[in-house]
Parts: sequence; structure tokens; C-alpha cells
Amino acid sequence: MPESEVEQEVQRIGRALHTALPGRSRNPVKAFDARAMELASRDAQLRAALFRLVDVTPACSSLDDLAAHLGAYLEEVGERPPPIEAALRAAHNAAGRRALGLAAAGGVRHMAHRFIVGESPEAALRTLRGLWDDGVASSVDLLGEATVTREEADHYAERCHEALDALAGSMGRWPSRPALESDSCGPLPRVNLSVKVSALTPLVRPDAPEVGRDDAAQRMRPLLRRARDLEAHLHIDMESLDALETTMELVFELLDEDEFAAGPSAGVVLQAYLRDSPEQLDRLLEWAEGSKRAPPLTVRLVKGAYWDHEVVEARQHGWQPPVFEVKAESDRNFEALTTRLLKARPEKDSARKPNASSGIRVAIASHNLRSVAHAVAVNRATGGEDADLELQILRGLGDELQQALAHNDLRVRAYCPVGDLVAGMAYLVRRLLENTSNDSFLGDQQRGAPIEELLAAP
Amino acid sequence: MSEFSNEPVLELRRAPVRESLLGALRELDSRLPLEVPVLVGGDRGAIEGLDSTDPGAPSRLVARAGRASQTEAHAAVQTAGAGFREWSAHTAAERAKVLSGAAGRLRERRLELAALMVRECAKPWPEADADVCEAIDFLEYYARAAPSLETGAELLQVPGERNTMRHAPRGVVAVISPWNFPLAIACGMTAAGLAAGNAVVLKPAEQSPACALALVEALHGAGVPPDALALLPGFGDAGAALVRHPEVHVIAFTGSGAVGLDIVRAAAETPEGQGHVKRVVAEMGGKNCVIVDADADLDDVVPALVGSAFGFAGQKCSAASRVLVHEAAHEALLRRLGGAVEVLEVGQAERFATDVPPVIEQEAQERVRGYARDAEASGRLVARPDRVPDDGWFCAPTVCAGLDPYAPVLREEVFGPLLTVEATRSVEAACDAVDSLPLALTAGLFSRNPATVDAVAARLPVGNLYVNRGITGAMVARQPFGGNRRSGIGAKAGGPGYLLQFTEPRVVTENTMRHGLVVE
Repeated sequence: MPESEVEQEVQRIGRALHTALPGRSRNPVKAFDARAMELASRDAQLRAALFRLVDVTPACSSLDDLAAHLGAYLEEVGERPPPIEAALRAAHNAAGRRALGLAAAGGVRHMAHRFIVGESPEAALRTLRGLWDDGVASSVDLLGEATVTREEADHYAERCHEALDALAGSMGRWPSRPALESDSCGPLPRVNLSVKVSALTPLVRPDAPEVGRDDAAQRMRPLLRRARDLEAHLHIDMESLDALETTMELVFELLDEDEFAAGPSAGVVLQAYLRDSPEQLDRLLEWAEGSKRAPPLTVRLVKGAYWDHEVVEARQHGWQPPVFEVKAESDRNFEALTTRLLKARPEKDSARKPNASSGIRVAIASHNLRSVAHAVAVNRATGGEDADLELQILRGLGDELQQALAHNDLRVRAYCPVGDLVAGMAYLVRRLLENTSNDSFLGDQQRGAPIEELLAAP
Repeated sequence: MSEFSNEPVLELRRAPVRESLLGALRELDSRLPLEVPVLVGGDRGAIEGLDSTDPGAPSRLVARAGRASQTEAHAAVQTAGAGFREWSAHTAAERAKVLSGAAGRLRERRLELAALMVRECAKPWPEADADVCEAIDFLEYYARAAPSLETGAELLQVPGERNTMRHAPRGVVAVISPWNFPLAIACGMTAAGLAAGNAVVLKPAEQSPACALALVEALHGAGVPPDALALLPGFGDAGAALVRHPEVHVIAFTGSGAVGLDIVRAAAETPEGQGHVKRVVAEMGGKNCVIVDADADLDDVVPALVGSAFGFAGQKCSAASRVLVHEAAHEALLRRLGGAVEVLEVGQAERFATDVPPVIEQEAQERVRGYARDAEASGRLVARPDRVPDDGWFCAPTVCAGLDPYAPVLREEVFGPLLTVEATRSVEAACDAVDSLPLALTAGLFSRNPATVDAVAARLPVGNLYVNRGITGAMVARQPFGGNRRSGIGAKAGGPGYLLQFTEPRVVTENTMRHGLVVE
């Protein structure tokens, strides 16, 4: 299909999805968050105060303590709108602090619940089942404190085992949803767990990736076995660049071990904001090509969630940032990688050579309507069924898009963080940053940018 | 000259970069032992009397060096007198160009120099590379500061008179430098002396003569006259002779408190025939505390403490040595910090996987182990990994807690991989404890309350306070570095005002009115 036709298809699909987006006003629960975030995205100082409040909440010993922190953050806001001024005055006496502390704690908890589906996998099952009934699959991510000790790594691995068991035990009884359960490559596991290498070892050393790789491998192997036995999918998340090499080496090394030749289904992440992501993709494809594994490797393409961290770290060290600094470059690269990934899938009807690799599955994780529409269009243009393309959204950020995708019979999976508030804070703050950053797609969308702009080629 | 910016450290997370360093190390190893002569004027002294060995493999000879005698020290100062006249005749802009050229020479050799620090001082790669960068930064930074010494400060002017103030060099600077930043600190003090127009006699620590030679080569190569910069590898006797020489004008020293105070006393002498009072610039170590408040994020605190206390085996003046943690966070911090220290890799500096290298020499090993025993005896052991290589001067990183509040180890500088943790009722109580110490170099604070941060910053006497981050790794121009109280005397290295210590201010007031006519 010529490029212009693909572009027309992108526009058509994008508009169809846009039409299917539910109106925000119909969801009163979210209106509060939206207001807080709108406020935050307009004023950098308020935004900082809000982040710091969210960040410190779990560490505060009492409502009074929380209010004292909030008061100190608001002191640093230069131009304070009347409600903020009132909050600040309240922080000056004990009764006021209690009220303010209650309100702040409530607000933060509310916000956390938007992004975090439950304190434990069991508690999350209700929400996950609701998604399933709405035609949405899920991937569970266990939030936790940073891993700095062996015990913490063991504990995280144990939580992963328990999560696999709990999810498998319940999901096995769910009604069948054929659209979510297979593609041209074969069956798709219902149970899907995302794991973080930095949580599986206290030894992620950017300068010596083999140290973390070897230590994490000891905990990853039993997890892979369990996932294989339960026929679950294990997805290895990608974090900051400092953990990239450790993660890649770990995945390649373990999946190549004989005992995992038949399973489990597993996946990795490619971050399009990385300047060298095209080379990372070369590496992934080369590995998949040479792999003897039966299940295809799922590649989840994301923009990347550590942009600020990477840029600041690079600036402090005098390095060229490893990420694209202009968002449009990231978006363009995302589309180029999408196309490469979709074209790298084995041709469906060609008789498969014996010993040939089963290749890759593609998952596109974005809230950007344009990026998603582009992936759907290219998938169709390259001969894929809609079922062959997985679309992923983040719980709490992509809920509306998720509905629109399901409504259009596209295969969508929600990435669902599970864990307690303390554990979730780092995640929450990252998500808030993403949602209120000035050049985010969601920001544009919230400001009511016209559809032509939202769907324009980057 | 372009605006100053810090020399970027190597991006060690990239495998090819690591490979290039290992290549440089192999190349260096093939040339060992290096030879380090006493260098006075154009003369090279004999190469004997001082051996520099690898702390991780004491049988490996890294350099054979001359051992400067008192006679050579005197000759060096005398020659420097002539060198001073030659060097100070150059304009500041010319001197700046030479220093910047020396920075370029270090830049060209940076892989090799990092490798040399790995071998001579067992300084791990990230720290060794940062050391080279800091040396380059000092040269570039002081080069840019030099011209302002000539233009001088803004003074009040009234009609009929012209007031100017400029800063002239003092003469001969004796630099006595330590082994822990074998290139950077030697370079900082030397570059400052030279930038201001003085001649310098450099007496490096006996543990790191080869690193010092690399610096001197770069400066001579870039155009510092041989007479204006001498190198005196050797021991304390050479340093003592230098310090006491009546023709030395400024003594720039970084090292232990005992030696520093000895220098201060010796410098106060004004024997017959000495036409000036010596000035001492001294950096003398610290007892660096980190305060952790109840609202701190331990996810950040633990890695920062581990890095600050055990990086380069705790052998940095700025290294963390004492943690004062709010009692509400005490137990959790001990558990997590202990666990994080248990997994540290103790090993050779040349391995990128190494977290804790050996200490510099046997004497240091014995001292640190002694302090660790004392800490254990007056409190309890929290963590200490048991895998420690046999060969080399290794000390296992150690965390102790619950110490008797009067234990000497809570007040004295250990300069090794030992960290003590105390519970404290409040941040104020922790500030009191820090304030009661005679040493006041660096400190850290972990708190997420801006009001607490302000209060602690106002209260602590330390020269460098780090908030919500590790407490080592000061960068030139970003964190001008130096201690207060008994930690040091003088302006902060790598900051504004540092060069002034190597100068004498001169004010000229000229009457510009002649018979009622103002001649501008």
C-alpha cells in the first residue's frame, strides 16, 4: 500500500477512535483529578508543590505532619490562587492543619486509586475482571520500594510468584473472550505479569551489567518456570537507561536456556525515546531470529517514561542526552519502529521452515491517538489482522482510549499497577509528570486541541 | 576563552567506553614500573629511594621514584625564585593560555591517567576518571579567573583621584598534596599558584608520585618554565624542609589534621632574613555526618549513604562517616542499609564490578580495622560482607550502630570504609551533635520538608552541606569545596576567591588633578 494511502487510513482510524472516546464529563469521579492536574499543568510552582505532596505523603507520620509539609511546599509558590492562600492560612494552627491534612491525604489517596488498581493481586481481581468483561486484557505490575537488599529482591520475587498463582487461579475460571485469547501466532495467555529487573536484584550496576544480570537470573529462572507451568506471560519491563543492558542481557540469556524453549510466553520493551532504539531493535530482531524458542517474543513499543530523569542526568554529567529532546522526534521514531516491528513478523502464509524462529508479537503502548492509529493502519497495510496487533494503555491515563479501542474491536491490554500507596508513590509521581507535562499528548487532548492537530503526522 | 564548563566524565555505562579503559590499563601495565625523578629546573635527579606499589597487589611495582632530600628541597625553592621572575613577567592572559594548554594535554591522556590512578592508588574507574576531569576543570577554571587579578576590584572613585586594586603574585608556593585525589588536588593547588603568577614546588604524597609526574609533564609541556615548577617526590622530610624554607611564601596543603597543624605552626615562624609572613592554605579532613529525618525517602537515602561512605573505600575527605537518623526511621534504615552493604563487592579497582577497592597501604588497613574493632566493641556490628580478597590492603566495608556516645570513633576521622549509625530524637538534636564536632567539612541532610532544609542549612557549621543526595563528588565551579573549623583554613577550592590566597593585593591611588585640571 502506498504511503499516502496509509496516511489516509491513519486519519480515518484516528477519527473513528476519537469519535468513540467517552466524554469526560460523564465520569464525575475523574473530574476532580482532571481539575487538580489542569491547575498543576498551568503553574510550574503549583505543579512542584503537588508532586512533592504526593511524593511525601506515605512518609508523613500524622495528618499534622502532612499538613506541615503541604504548608511548606505552598510557601514556595509565588502567586497563590485564593484556595491555595486559604490552605496556607489553615496550616498555621493545629485544627487547620488537621483539616488540611485530611483533605490532602484524601486527595492523594484518590489520585493513587486512579492509577493503582488494588493493594494486592487479589484485591485487583475485581477491577481486572471488569476490564475483561469490557473486552480489555490486563498486565499486572507489582509496585514496591526500591530494591537495595537481597531480602527485598527475594520478597519481590515471592510477590511475583504469589501474583502469578492468584491471577492464574482466578482468571482460569473467567468466561472465554476469543478476541483477547489468540492471534495468528497462537493462543495468548490470560495471565500477564510485568516484572522489573531492578526489583529482582539489588545489584544493578550500569558500569557492570553482568553483576545484576547474574544476580537477577537466580530469581528470574524460578519465575519463568512458574509462568511456563501456569501458561502465563511474563513481560520484562524496561526502566532507565542505567538498567537497560542488565535487562537485555538477562532476557536474552535466560530465554535461550533449554528449559524455556517451549515456554513461557515472554516479552521485552523497546523505548522509542532512546536515540539508539533502532540499534536496540536490530539487536532484538537478531536475537529473535536466532532463537529456538517456540513462543514468539512480544515486543512492547513505548515512548519511555524516564525522559526527565535521563535528560537531567545527562546534563549533570555533560553527556548528550540518550533520549530525543524534541517530542516530535520521539513520535517520528515511534512510527518508524512500529513499521519496522510490524514488517519483521514472519509472513503468515509462507510455510514455516523447520527450526525457523517463531518471531515476534507486537504490542504498541501509547496514549497518543496518532501513534495508535498509525500502528493500526500499518498493521492492516502489512497484511496483519487486527488481532495480530496488541494495543496497550496505562490504567488511569488511557482509560478513555481503552474504551474507544475496545469499541472499535481492537485488541487492548491495560497495564495495571498493583501495590500499596507507599510503594506506588514513585510510580504515581512519574505518571503525574507525564500527564501534566506541557507537550504531552494527553495535555493537548485535555486542552481540547482540534482533531487535525491531534492526528497530524509528527 | 570560552565560558567554563565541567569536563564531562566518561559514560561508563557504554561497553565500548569501558573497553577503551581496559585497553589503556593493559598498555600502561606493559610499561610498568614508571620512573619518577626529582625535577628541579631542567635537572632530573636519581631515580631511587621511593617505590610506589599497587595497593591491590603490593608486589606490583607501579613506579620507581627519586626521594627528594632536604638539599634538593632547598635547591628547588632557590630555582623557583628565578622561575618566579620569569613566570610572573607573563601577563595573566598568557599564563591562562598555558594552563588551558596543560588541560588539553591531560585531556589527551585521560584514559591513561585514569588507568594510572587505578594502579597507583587503587582508585576505581568512575572515581579515577572523575579525578582526571576535576584536574582539567581546575586548570580551565583558574585560567579563566587569572585575568581578573590584574584588572582588580571595583573601587569607589571620586573626581581628581584614580584608585585601582590588583593582585600580584607572592613568590614561591609549596604544594603538599595527598594521594587520594592524586591528580586533581595536586593540580588544583598547583594550577592556582601558577595562575596567580607564582612559581610552584610540588611535593606529592609518597604513595602517588607517578600521578604527580603526569601533572608536571602536562604543565611543562604546555609552557610553564622548568624553573617555575619543580617536582619533589619523596617523604615527609622533604615536605618539612619545604615548609620551613624562608623563601617559600605560600604553603598549600591537603592532608591530615596533624600534619596540617604542624604546617600552620611552622609557617608562623619568621626567622631572621625572611621578609614576609607565610600564608597557609590547608584542607585537613572531616568527620562527615548525614542527618536523616523521619520524612526521608529511604529508597534514596540508602544508595546515597552507601556511595558516600564506601565509594573509593571511604578515602575521600568528604566521605560519610556518621549517620544521625530520626528514631522513627532508625530501624528501617538499619535493616535496609545493612542489607545494601552486605551485597557490596569488595575487589580490585580495575574491575568495573567492584564497589569497594582496597585502602591505600598496610598502615591504613591497620588503622581502619582498629577503628572498626572499636566501633564494634562500643556498639554492635550491623553489616560487613565476608568476601574480601587476601592479597592487597583490603578492609571490609562495615556498618556499626548503637555506639557509646562518647566513643572516640564518633569524633575522629577514620578515612576508610566504616560507617556508624545513631538514632536521634529530632533533627535539632542531630544538629547539636554535628555542631559539637571540631571538624566541619561536609554534611548531608535527607528531608522532604523545605522548612527543615532551611533550618539545618542555617545551623550547621560545615563547609559543604548536601541535601537529599550523596555528600561526595564536589564539582569545580558548582560546589566550591573546603572545610571550616579544624577542617581547613582558606577559601574554597574551585570557587571564587580561591586564587586571591596566592596573591598580595596592591592598591594604587593616583592624584589626577594638576593645577585644578583633572587629567583622566
